[in-house]
Amino acid sequence: MPHITLARLPLENLRRRPLRTAMLIVVVTMLTVAVYGGALLAANLGDGIDSMSERMGADLMVTPQNTGTQAEALLTGSSSGTFYFTNDIAALVSKADGVARATAQTYIASLSADCCDGKVQIIGFDPSTDFVIEPWIVSQYDGALATGEAIAGSGINVSADGTIRLYGHEFPVVAQLAATGTGLDNAVFVDSSTVPQVIGYSAEVGHAAIPAAYADKAVSAVLVKVADGYDAHKVADNIAAASGLDGLGYVYPGGLTATTRAGLDTIVSYAAAFLAVFWTMGLIVLVAVFTSATNERKREFAAYRIMGATRGTLVSLVVRESAAIGLAGGLAGVTLASLAILPFSTLIASRLQLPYLQTGALRVAAMMLLALAFAVATGVLACLASAVRLSAPETYLTLREGE
Amino acid sequence: MTRIPFTALPAVAFGALAAIAPQTFAHACQGHDTPGACHYAQQAATGIGVAMLAIGVIALFARPAMRAGLNAAAAVIALLLIAVPTVLIGVCPGAMMHCRMVMLPTLIVVGALAAICCLIAAWADLRADRADRARTALAAA
Repeated sequence: MPHITLARLPLENLRRRPLRTAMLIVVVTMLTVAVYGGALLAANLGDGIDSMSERMGADLMVTPQNTGTQAEALLTGSSSGTFYFTNDIAALVSKADGVARATAQTYIASLSADCCDGKVQIIGFDPSTDFVIEPWIVSQYDGALATGEAIAGSGINVSADGTIRLYGHEFPVVAQLAATGTGLDNAVFVDSSTVPQVIGYSAEVGHAAIPAAYADKAVSAVLVKVADGYDAHKVADNIAAASGLDGLGYVYPGGLTATTRAGLDTIVSYAAAFLAVFWTMGLIVLVAVFTSATNERKREFAAYRIMGATRGTLVSLVVRESAAIGLAGGLAGVTLASLAILPFSTLIASRLQLPYLQTGALRVAAMMLLALAFAVATGVLACLASAVRLSAPETYLTLREGE
Repeated sequence: MTRIPFTALPAVAFGALAAIAPQTFAHACQGHDTPGACHYAQQAATGIGVAMLAIGVIALFARPAMRAGLNAAAAVIALLLIAVPTVLIGVCPGAMMHCRMVMLPTLIVVGALAAICCLIAAWADLRADRADRARTALAAA
């Protein structure tokens, strides 16, 4: 017969009732998976929205007629596309009152076919006027982007020789950017002087992205920074008046971010309410089981008292048993939730169609520790009622009732 | 009544999952002109899954001591399942490729869970074996 010390007694008690212990651990595991998994997903979505806000450097985006939705989808990363103006829209927009800065961009969606390494969004920008992409790229690549060269987003499949094949042509990739959790991760950035080349190569493989006649002047959108004191909507009216074009599309990146954030906040608040209800139900189950078990163990506790155990020893015994259950359930819950979320972050991001950026390792580690502490606290909280009963002065008499 | 040796079930369940997943929902990329690394990783993972499943089925009929050894072997094979797409063969480099987005994490998760569960099962089998020996010694005395 092995010698059982007071320190080992809680674990021996748990081992003696394996089914009850396993069921309690399962309950704590489910609570931890829900709380830690939910918190991790919310943190990743929050980081994605923050990253999206940082990347939206413009107050207003002017697009061709009926392409506003397509442009919004391109910004949030839910889809790629090709659309363009057939006139010199950048010059017209620059003339409007309230426009502090304006820069043109060209969007071309490559094909998911033999000619290309995959379907990616090609973004042509003009470094001489750009104020949206350049500041971000400069933080990670300090060279000048030459004609024919490309910078790849984090999700782009760059070949081992540092190139990417688009429309049958190998473009040298001079830098690959860090993940942003937005559609820009699946974009390839080129100088506007490279755009006619891309259009030429697309025509050569029989999938002309833009007609050759517009290759030199195709502009998909003009991004505008409004002057101080001007409202973006007012500037949009000014652009319509100055250009004489009524059917322009307008996207407000700031508003888009705010709308996405508001939608996300609503989802998170509903999820938090659901988790609170779920946690309360789990806690009630744990309290019921601990109370019932303590009631059934009156003889056992009476025996401890007869052997000289104080009331504090009994309380400590019950609390350590529940803390051990909380720790085991917490470890299992954190492991399961981590395995379900961390390796699948790219898949989750692509399915959610929302800005989603895997949060940093340090924050994940801190959340794991917090989740473990939460699980242990839940276990201890569940046994509080039993512990209070055991610590009452008349406990000895109560326990004697079991004899 | 014959008792089901529950400690053999992790190898059976995870072996079946490792064999089926790469051929169904966690498949390699499709549409390559020539089979890429992910195709060979997929085939190797299926083979490893079948081996793990076979070990689990054998363990169903084995004594606790032998089952402990079989579970330890299954745990090692589970580590091999993780190594195939990460180190030994690899998958496509593109972050948005199906093999990297689905097959790689699925094999890592199945491998990690299989290794943990098989090691716990091996430990439980060793304890059961010690208890069996103690009972036999007591009966002999």
